[in-house]
Amino acid sequence: MHFRFDIIVDYIPLLLKGAALTIGISALAIVLGSILGLAVSFGKMSSRWYLSWPTSGYIHFFRGTPLYVQILIVHFGLVPACIGHTDAIVAAITALALNSAAYTAEIYRAGIQSIDKGQTEAAQSLGMTSGQTMRFIILPQAVRRMIPAFGNEFVVLIKDSSLVALIAAPELMYWSNVMRGQYLRVWEPYLAAAFIYLILTYSLSKLLGWMEKKGVAG
Amino acid sequence: MTAGPIIEVTGVHKSFGANTVLKDVSMQVAPGEVVVIIGPSGSGKSTLLRCLNGLERPERGEIRIEDRSLLDAGSSITEIRSRMGMVFQQFNLFPHLSVLRNITLAPVQVRKLEPANAEELALSLLGKVGLGEKAGQFPASLSGGQAQRVAIARALAMEPRIMLFDEPTSALDPEMVGEVLAVMKELAAEGMTMVIVTHEMGFAREVGHRVLFMEQGMIVEEGAPRQLFDEPRQERTKAFLSKVL
Amino acid sequence: MGKRLSVLLAAGILIMTMAACGANKENGGNTASGGDKPSSNASEKVYKFATDAAYAPMEFMDKDKITGFDVDFLKAVMDEAGLKYSITNTGWDAMLTEVQSGKSYDAGLSSVSITPEREESYDYSVPYFESTNMIMVKEDSTVASAADLKDKKVAVQGSTTADTLMSGIMGNDNTDLKRFDSNAVAMLELDSGGVDAVVADIAIVREYMKNNPERKLKAIMDTASFGSEFYGILLPTGSELKAKLDPAIKTVLENGKYTEIYKKWFGEEPNIDNVLNAK
Repeated sequence: MHFRFDIIVDYIPLLLKGAALTIGISALAIVLGSILGLAVSFGKMSSRWYLSWPTSGYIHFFRGTPLYVQILIVHFGLVPACIGHTDAIVAAITALALNSAAYTAEIYRAGIQSIDKGQTEAAQSLGMTSGQTMRFIILPQAVRRMIPAFGNEFVVLIKDSSLVALIAAPELMYWSNVMRGQYLRVWEPYLAAAFIYLILTYSLSKLLGWMEKKGVAG
Repeated sequence: MTAGPIIEVTGVHKSFGANTVLKDVSMQVAPGEVVVIIGPSGSGKSTLLRCLNGLERPERGEIRIEDRSLLDAGSSITEIRSRMGMVFQQFNLFPHLSVLRNITLAPVQVRKLEPANAEELALSLLGKVGLGEKAGQFPASLSGGQAQRVAIARALAMEPRIMLFDEPTSALDPEMVGEVLAVMKELAAEGMTMVIVTHEMGFAREVGHRVLFMEQGMIVEEGAPRQLFDEPRQERTKAFLSKVL
Repeated sequence: MGKRLSVLLAAGILIMTMAACGANKENGGNTASGGDKPSSNASEKVYKFATDAAYAPMEFMDKDKITGFDVDFLKAVMDEAGLKYSITNTGWDAMLTEVQSGKSYDAGLSSVSITPEREESYDYSVPYFESTNMIMVKEDSTVASAADLKDKKVAVQGSTTADTLMSGIMGNDNTDLKRFDSNAVAMLELDSGGVDAVVADIAIVREYMKNNPERKLKAIMDTASFGSEFYGILLPTGSELKAKLDPAIKTVLENGKYTEIYKKWFGEEPNIDNVLNAK
């Protein structure tokens, strides 16, 4: 089979434009998802039922249903309800952030609960509030342990972001679908997109590896 | 002294599930007093100590620190705790912070000291426990004895009125026990109010003003060290002492 | 953790390899029976057609059966040509790769429009279907023609004639032209106010409006801008099948069989001349 590099070259500007949006969507979803995930994990660890039940349900829902369906619900349900009309990019970021939060919440929880109880007791015995204990003692140690798990989650999120082509968010996979439609060829658009995804995820892994070594969490 | 007891425990009852650890325990500590609690493991002595700063919460009874109820304190428990230092068996230093930051963190965050003042205080306390040169190191590089002395300095940096010690030498190699006890002895000599749970009978006899013997969640006998060690009144005290001495 | 992962990985590779071997064997068997036999026995060969049966009413699944206009049409053509055939729902991407390689499948039948770019990679049969697109907008819309859509937001199903047409009008890289995976999602986008119009096959627009009268939509025909697109059967380049298909298609178009099938599915007469005279 003859592989047509010429049509990839034609589409490089659009693929790169799509990749830029993929990076933007993923980065925002990672940041928002990590913040929301922290809140959700605190809710789940709470001893108050009105915090732990809804957050536990949240985690079950977003981990237990297909992201594909979540994207549709957010795009056609949640986003129009909030801003009055559909917006594929807002929906893409929201859906990925909501989904990612369910996974990061569990990463936070595992990380926080892995810290020895003595650390909390020592901080409390010094008169620190639970907020101060979390911020200065538990999280800095826990985050360092969480970095590998976060790395996995972020790599998964970047790849999962390809699903938002479903709602015509013009990211990388969307443009490779357009390329497929124009030439009715499968390998050129998909392999080109896969190669760009690989570059993105590889760079992210390297960055996180460097962060882990540096221990920047402290 | 006009003031009453600095610590007052009345009728405290504590259980973990079906297991009752403290049964109707009452005790008092006067300002400047050094009280040593001894007893077999599982006797409830560590739990009693942990109740004193709210790390454990008894089901019944009353605990008053400097005449304030600990159990009704709510969120102001942090304020009561900040005036009470605690030293743990496992040191519980913060591994991600340098020795200096271990000591300055709470004074800066809780007492709202200027960082520069906190550092000055930390360095002088490190000097006091003989570790002035370790300020920049991390806990992982310290020996057990050094770590425990840093933990004492960390607690002292809050300028507490009371120091609680929960088996501070039990996790140490024998050759390091002395350096930690020496620091504690010095503190006692300075007039610090101290409650110490320990297995070091020699230290209890030498430094304690009063010794409590606990067994099965109850204070079996208390008295001056000489009296309790040399002329115990209770059979159970005698039996325990005959095993450890 | 690392150990468990590597065991899983090894198991995964093993399963995939086994699956691939199985598939190869099957393919090998097929090519052997087709290729080894002399040409005099060619009539016994079963021609394999791939389709993406997700484009009602052209080709779609009725429960577990592939049905639609294309399916009836193919039967008429293959009967006319005296060829045996089978049709499989492979999905869009698999259909494209299979037909391009020409190893496991001989042709693709899936409402594929003929465009110059696509002819670089495939051969086509002669055109067999004329497709007209329609604009669907909300009742109060000011849009009257395709030209009005230039600065609007428009939804289409990707890889369809509507996509090709609107890409021409709005620009291939215009992000206001939103290409969805299916017409169903594109319609939903119009409903949610994300776009001003949907452009799709006339049959699809009519079907949707018939089923959703409460949505208050109107359909606009613009034959001037939406020149006809023609569907062809997708073939690997240099396919021997083309020489057999083309005359049969012509016959079916001319002998009334095509009109019969067309009326069955669309309830109206086709314009046979347009299809016969295309290109």
